[in-house]
Amino acid sequence: MRQHRKTAFLFLAPFLTVFVAFYLTPVIYAIYLSLFIRKRVGIGPAKEVLGGMANYVRAVQDGDFLNGLKNMFVFGVVQVPVMLGLAIVLALLLAESRGIFMKVCRTTFFMPYGIPSAIGALIWGYLYSPNLSPFNQVLGALHGGAIEFLSPGVVLFSIANIVTWTWTGYNMITLFAALQNIPTELYEAARVDGATHWDIVRSIKIPLLMPTLKLLFIFSVIGTSQLFTEAFVLRPLGYVADNITPNLYLYLTAARDANYSYAGALAILLALLIFVISGPFLRRISSS
Amino acid sequence: MGLKQTSAQTDPGDATVPAGPPLGNVVAPPIPALRGDAATSSVPGALRNLVLAAFLLYCLLPATWIIAAMTKDNGQIFSTFGLWFANPPHFFENLIGLFTYQNGIFLRWFGNSLLYAGSITLGSTLICAMGGYAFSKYDFPSKQLLFNFILGTIMVPSTALVLPLFLMLNKVGLVNTMWGVILPSLVNPFGLYLMKTFWDSGFPNELIEASRLEGANEWQIFWRIGIPLMQTGLVTVALLCFVGAWNNFFLPLIVLSQDSLYPLTLGLNIWNSVSSAAGGKPVYNLIALGSLISVLPLLIAFVVLGKYWRGGLTAGATKG
Repeated sequence: MRQHRKTAFLFLAPFLTVFVAFYLTPVIYAIYLSLFIRKRVGIGPAKEVLGGMANYVRAVQDGDFLNGLKNMFVFGVVQVPVMLGLAIVLALLLAESRGIFMKVCRTTFFMPYGIPSAIGALIWGYLYSPNLSPFNQVLGALHGGAIEFLSPGVVLFSIANIVTWTWTGYNMITLFAALQNIPTELYEAARVDGATHWDIVRSIKIPLLMPTLKLLFIFSVIGTSQLFTEAFVLRPLGYVADNITPNLYLYLTAARDANYSYAGALAILLALLIFVISGPFLRRISSS
Repeated sequence: MGLKQTSAQTDPGDATVPAGPPLGNVVAPPIPALRGDAATSSVPGALRNLVLAAFLLYCLLPATWIIAAMTKDNGQIFSTFGLWFANPPHFFENLIGLFTYQNGIFLRWFGNSLLYAGSITLGSTLICAMGGYAFSKYDFPSKQLLFNFILGTIMVPSTALVLPLFLMLNKVGLVNTMWGVILPSLVNPFGLYLMKTFWDSGFPNELIEASRLEGANEWQIFWRIGIPLMQTGLVTVALLCFVGAWNNFFLPLIVLSQDSLYPLTLGLNIWNSVSSAAGGKPVYNLIALGSLISVLPLLIAFVVLGKYWRGGLTAGATKG
């Protein structure tokens, strides 16, 4: 078996090479960078000096970062359950449909997942934009009102809608496939025992979908923590706060303010947070 | 907890009470009153179709706006109803405009997107197929630990990677080059995980043993026997890679500053920023048509490769 160990390593080498070079090293580099702070010494230009945990201390007290985290939390408890609930309902309904209508629905629901998020967000941006929005054209014609989709209070919901539009179909297809894997004998047996349709949904289908649902929930939470493109794309079209998502905030910290060390600290904190939230779930799923 | 346990429970006796905490007492003993009463009826067909149709319209709403907008000139986009066509239509002017604006840079972006997505898909699928094979078919020290570690990195936010990555690429001169976009995109932990599950289920170990006895070396077993059996897995992972690479926005945004290297996603958004800025020339009509063209390759791939995303894409999730 010894020679097979070497073979295994050769098969693994290409993946490990790119993984170490373009995944692991940047993370380690980010950790290293995060230990520095910018300091002005005397009258010279600001210098990067070793600051220990100073960036981390600053981050946990940073109102902008915390606001992004708060929005992320709102997303996690509002948008994710709404999206997954919708996906379950659609998957259950679709599983009972037949024929061409079912096929059209199945493909069309899934389509938004394939649309680049930068393009999808752009088009939704036009549907939201004060000058272009067809919704407001209709509202205006009806009673002269308008919804400011891109105003500070509403924009988070507007982003949530784009994310829901993009991902509901993907989640639905996954649940739909899991439904197809349930042996039909289970339903027949249940009917013999007098179970109604609702009993079957509640007591067979939903429980058997739970493992898939948990996995989708975790993927959605991870996705939520990485929200960037939608917020970034909407920026030129309306008012999108710099701190609306943690990722946008840390992008601006690095790309606009050129404060790489602080951005590094924010990134590490964000990754740790996701790890703490989703780690236990993933462990339970992979061990079952 | 999961499908494996419960799918074994096809014994009608306890079939309505699969193991697992969520179920518990929900089904209790069958209630005689319910017998025969609506036992097979479901949601009324009309209501079901209504809900599905409503969601169908929701999915198609942005497409409706684009298709309407591509018949309009830039003034009509503002002055006419967003979800209906323009009269007179300006479709052909827009088409010519799209491919000639700024010396036809749109075509260049389209070619760039194809090049990025094509090379990333080929490279990444191959790397994942080989790596997944190693995890599935060989034993080596700390295998499980390494696998879990790689999988765990899915949780690292992309910003955490891309910003330090930019500084590193800058040092080795890969910033503002195509390689700066392609090489980092080859890493795909989820693809590795998927390929491993495909190798686990689709290529029996006995076949490897038999081939070894017949004198095939490990490399030949992988290429000549394994790979041809892995078509579903390879196409599925390739499709995922292609979608990810075609849709990539964040990495090119950071790495590229020269517009002739942009992929479509980045290029169209630059047009939008210019169009929306004060004093910029608005080209929303071109952006609309360009957006439609930019999603065509994926739509075609989805329709043609339907069975792969329906069955294969979810293999990882339903595996439990």
